[in-house]
Amino acid sequence: MNFADEVREIAKQYPDARSATLPALRLAQERHGWLPPDAFREVADALGLTPAYCKAVASFYDMYHLEPVGEHLVEVCTNLSCALSGAQKVVDAFESELGVRAGETTDDGDITFRTVECLGGCGYPTVVAVDNRYRQFVKPEDVPSIVEMVRGA
Amino acid sequence: MALKEVLLAPEGERYAQVAKARAMTPDALIAELQAANLRGRGGAGFPMGRKASLIDRGSAKPKYLVVNADESEPGAFKDRQVMAEHPHRLIEGCLIAAHAIEAKDIFIYIRGEYLAVYEILQAAVDDARATGIFGDVEVTVYRGAGAYICGEETALLDSLEGRRGQPRPRPPFPPVQGLYNAPTQINNVCTIATVPTILELGAEEFAKTGVESSPGTAIFSISGNVVSPGNYELELGTPMRELIYDHAGGIPDGRTLKAVIPGGSSVPALTPDQIDVPLDYDSLAQLGTFFGAASLIVVDDRCCMVQLALRSTKFYMHESCGKCTPCREGTRWMVQLLEKIEAGDAEHSDIDLLRSVGDRILGKSLCALGDFAVYPVASYIKHWGDEFAAHVEHGGCPFEGSSSLEGIVAPSDAHTHHPVAEVPA
Amino acid sequence: MSAAETVTLTVDGVEVTVPKGIGLVEAALQAGIEIPVFCYEPRLGPPVGACRMCLCEVAPGPPKPQAACTLTAADGMVVKTAKTSAMAAEAQNATLEFILVNHPLDCPVCDKGGECPLQDLTFRYGPGNTRMEFQKRTFEKPIPISPTIALDRERCILCYRCTRFSESVAEDGQLVAVNRGASSMIATFEDEPYRAPFSGNVVELCPVGALTSTQYRFEARPWEIQQVPTVCGLCPVGCNISATTREGKVKRILSRNHPEVDEGWLCDKGRFAYSHLRADDRIEDPLRKVSAHRFEPLSWGDALDEVELLLRWAGSSIVTALSGGETVEQAYGLAKLLREGLGAHAAVMPEPVPDALDAFRAPLSAIRDAPAVVVLCDEPVVERAPVVDLWIRAARRNGARVLTEIPEERIDGVVLISDDADRCAWFARDLGAAAAYYLPRTPNGRGVVDAWSAASEGEPVDGEPKLMIVSRDLAAADPSVRALAERAEKVIGIGMFEASFRGLADLVLPATSYLERDGTTVNLEGRLQRQRRTVVGPCPDELAWIAKLAERFGVAVSPYASTTFEEVAGRCYGGISFADVSDQASLPARAESAAELAPPPSTRVAEGPGLRLVAYTPLFSGAAVERTPELAFLRPDGEIELAADDARARGIANGDAVTVRSNGTSRALRARIVRDLAPGVTRIPRDDAEGLHETVEVSK
Ligand SMILES: Cc1cc2nc3c(=O)[nH]c(=O)nc-3n(C[C@H](O)[C@H](O)[C@H](O)COP(=O)(O)O)c2cc1C
Ligand code: SF4
Ligand code: FES
Repeated sequence: MNFADEVREIAKQYPDARSATLPALRLAQERHGWLPPDAFREVADALGLTPAYCKAVASFYDMYHLEPVGEHLVEVCTNLSCALSGAQKVVDAFESELGVRAGETTDDGDITFRTVECLGGCGYPTVVAVDNRYRQFVKPEDVPSIVEMVRGA
Repeated sequence: MALKEVLLAPEGERYAQVAKARAMTPDALIAELQAANLRGRGGAGFPMGRKASLIDRGSAKPKYLVVNADESEPGAFKDRQVMAEHPHRLIEGCLIAAHAIEAKDIFIYIRGEYLAVYEILQAAVDDARATGIFGDVEVTVYRGAGAYICGEETALLDSLEGRRGQPRPRPPFPPVQGLYNAPTQINNVCTIATVPTILELGAEEFAKTGVESSPGTAIFSISGNVVSPGNYELELGTPMRELIYDHAGGIPDGRTLKAVIPGGSSVPALTPDQIDVPLDYDSLAQLGTFFGAASLIVVDDRCCMVQLALRSTKFYMHESCGKCTPCREGTRWMVQLLEKIEAGDAEHSDIDLLRSVGDRILGKSLCALGDFAVYPVASYIKHWGDEFAAHVEHGGCPFEGSSSLEGIVAPSDAHTHHPVAEVPA
Repeated sequence: MSAAETVTLTVDGVEVTVPKGIGLVEAALQAGIEIPVFCYEPRLGPPVGACRMCLCEVAPGPPKPQAACTLTAADGMVVKTAKTSAMAAEAQNATLEFILVNHPLDCPVCDKGGECPLQDLTFRYGPGNTRMEFQKRTFEKPIPISPTIALDRERCILCYRCTRFSESVAEDGQLVAVNRGASSMIATFEDEPYRAPFSGNVVELCPVGALTSTQYRFEARPWEIQQVPTVCGLCPVGCNISATTREGKVKRILSRNHPEVDEGWLCDKGRFAYSHLRADDRIEDPLRKVSAHRFEPLSWGDALDEVELLLRWAGSSIVTALSGGETVEQAYGLAKLLREGLGAHAAVMPEPVPDALDAFRAPLSAIRDAPAVVVLCDEPVVERAPVVDLWIRAARRNGARVLTEIPEERIDGVVLISDDADRCAWFARDLGAAAAYYLPRTPNGRGVVDAWSAASEGEPVDGEPKLMIVSRDLAAADPSVRALAERAEKVIGIGMFEASFRGLADLVLPATSYLERDGTTVNLEGRLQRQRRTVVGPCPDELAWIAKLAERFGVAVSPYASTTFEEVAGRCYGGISFADVSDQASLPARAESAAELAPPPSTRVAEGPGLRLVAYTPLFSGAAVERTPELAFLRPDGEIELAADDARARGIANGDAVTVRSNGTSRALRARIVRDLAPGVTRIPRDDAEGLHETVEVSK
């Protein structure tokens, strides 16, 4: 099924097709790896919206990428509970292991590393999301194996 | 009678209560729910049954039930466990509540980060649909995309409509004009998941549990500096001390308790001498704080309260939706002031200014996010003012690098996903 | 008003009784009390409560300041503004402090300075000093979001007025807010311009100097300017406007809200095209043809003598082509001179409006409140009568059905809009429409026809015309007029630009623009409205020399519009006075008509696989637009409009390059898929349609 038809299928679930904007943007991001200008044009055409509208929506949410990101996304929660339990040491470990600062992508374009706000795993700190899959109770010493796993994937 | 686990207990016969509910008229069911006096677990503590009674069922428009599964309050992770372990309990509650308000469409708005939980929940919805229990009701799981504000009920509705998730002015309230401007009931996951128990026990029995003003149980998420952080389902009214010391095992590494933020990071903190408070809405309100998301963040003596305030405020600045002036501009200004204080460049007058900026946000923003940014910080200044002052006198952080939050990097410090103009405070 | 439809509340101790359902801001105003606002603007839809400027103490209600703009006046409400409530005063002061925290202090060089709501409200309710000592949010500034509009993000206070206009009024969805929280900012898509027919309204909506007009930039300070109330003369809607003038030059056009006509909105042609007044090829003196393509100026004395000679020579054998761009008075004066003085009754007129339509007359605002709107237009409404398009959108948002074909069933209260006079009249009766609007081609065609027939009686003489008079550039551009002129021995032109008359006229007299003359026009509703001389043109008003000439033929024509108007009004407008049409003109009463109407031919649908081609005159075309460089980007750039179904059937997507063929000729254009276009029909701007036939093939 081509993108437009797939989006229209999704839109059918809702009383108003506009509701499909978020799912459609997620779908476009899966296809492109991020959301380049053309992705907004595709979503806009499929839903009868404007590219400007679609970008306005996407730029509001943290999970849409408005610029290219690595093959994999590694996110460390640094909100209160994780922070109180040593999240920064985990961040440091990733930075030295990956050789990038939080918010950057490795030179080989393999991994984008960033810190994020509360992931809803405060009881199991530190929470690290690898491509949106949580790993909990992460300690600095676990970082090398995580990176190895990600690179391997 | 005493109620043990309800939400986290092993499931009995699935959907047993749905038939019972559907055998009742919507009015009778709403009366039952009102009698149970189940108070909303999402934060505001508004009685769930009363909310249902406010639904404009006379309206020609369709009615909607929306479940708030956005759970983004720092410190909160209870909804996640309920959905991951007992999704059918939530779906059962949905079907019952939908019958009460005569809704045919149910939307569960789950935060985008909960990918694994979404997969479990979606599978459960499909299984349930396959059994035919839905009848003419449809359940749709909608994924958010990373915005704390979408937990605010009207912002959630805008997001669900495919817009930027920004709060709407109230009135009109959702029961009158909600999703697609139609009458809409919005409840938290735990609120809805508790509904089957009300039918099982009967409102009268249920109302006898917990404490009179807040019946039932709640899942308390406890995290931070405790030996065994996690979720504990307890009857409302359980003393906070019991939760912290008996269930969560107290403070680790021989440290001492410094502060407890009882409802998620958005509420005023309590001091160690206040932790005998019973965990229910009214008791906490009497101490000037909130039950909130029943999520306790425990802080030990290693933590610098200025750093705590700064990290907390950076979160609210980052999550401010940008619609209303006081929250958008005020949170950023607070961060700038806190950074100045933490850096040791501040005068005593800057602390007064910080307090004043907070006062000027309080009660003036479009939704409560502005308040959420201020409540905790104001309480830190109130109870730990000497620590703020010490930063001025000492010309820097008195912890000299030993604070548990030292150097913590917030997303707003290092950012890529909003390349256009992420504003460094 | 019966008690049922009113509520009584107190504002700052003042008790007021107001209509049920109105907002607190309006209610307070009725008590003579200001509730300050930034984001609140009822014309943009429901309140958003974003800026928090309107915070007041309201009982009953929670014990904290309430956003008055989001509340509806209710019985027994007690409202306290900053005047009487410390809570409200503190709240409003706080809001302003927060707004100013990141607002630059470049007021001295800001176009808004002196007419800026932020300055005014800060003066009245704001803090006297600043407590903010950190670096303010900075942006690259100003950035052009189109050739007509500049955006200064540092000045933006994020009231979302502009984006709400774009989303909920013009519905072009091009100007949006991106990012979140303190990073939020106004933007278009990538670096694409805000390309839409109503974009200029955001400049007027912006309460600060964030959105400014590139034409007006650094042109004037508020205390150096005059605002002259007048009426736009560029299309048949006749939007009410104010011309901002400085030192005798028009510097800017602002809307002058007539709630029945324009609701305060203007199209970008009406707003920005004024600079054509100062075009290089503007005719300032009379011109005489010296060679096929060259004119030379001559004095007014000589010019009038030559005109007199030509008129005497031609006598009754004159054909006059009126364009519909004249004022009622100019047309009347000319008609009186020619018809009464020379018996020259032959004229080429702008398309006539059937009197039968007067029975369906209603203000344009009635469209918004209609349950259903039938739009029987080949040409896009927005291209012919722009603001009517906004009324139709408003109706749709109000839940009205908008149909492009005659409905099968009868719909009570349906209103009809058509670009075909006869169809409009016929179906207005046929549907029992509550109101009907015919969209004429020209700004004042109706008034001109009225004036011509009011001037005198008499039948044209037969035979080829000796002399042809072509009035205004609009007529000179009309192929049929040019063809007729070919057959006349001599041609006199009256116009603004040389180019319009080269190779056409032997003698040209300079014409004034609608901003340089005094007089009246009749808009598409049938509303008489007054145009004022906002600046003195480079040439005398037509009426002045028409009067002089008339004198030579013993015909009495007053050089004064007011006097002439009274004469015309006496003859065909029930004797209403100049004053009645001056500020906010009201709509004349309906007039029943028993006229027999012939059923119009049913709409032609293309036979075979082809599409029926409709060639239309784009809004952004014509003499004025061609002479406004800033508007060049809005002129159609080889686009063809297709209905969604037709496009899908041909596998054509938005923006695709397509070929249009009709026997022999073919043209390469870009597809634009439009929602409310009847299937089987396609539209192309007239210039691009050159040589194409009624039925065309469109393929990828
Ligand atoms: C900024 C903000 C964030 C919120 N986040 C959540 C949330 O994540 N989950 C939730 O259930 N309620 C949240 N709420 C509360 C909701 O607005 C609403 O009160 C609640 O969902 C109602 O459900 P309940 O009555 O069952 O508690 C939030 C409120 C605000 C102001
Ligand atoms: S540009 Fe002007 S109108 Fe638009 S949001 Fe900013 S201040 Fe408001
Ligand atoms: S603070 Fe880390 S997951 Fe909540």
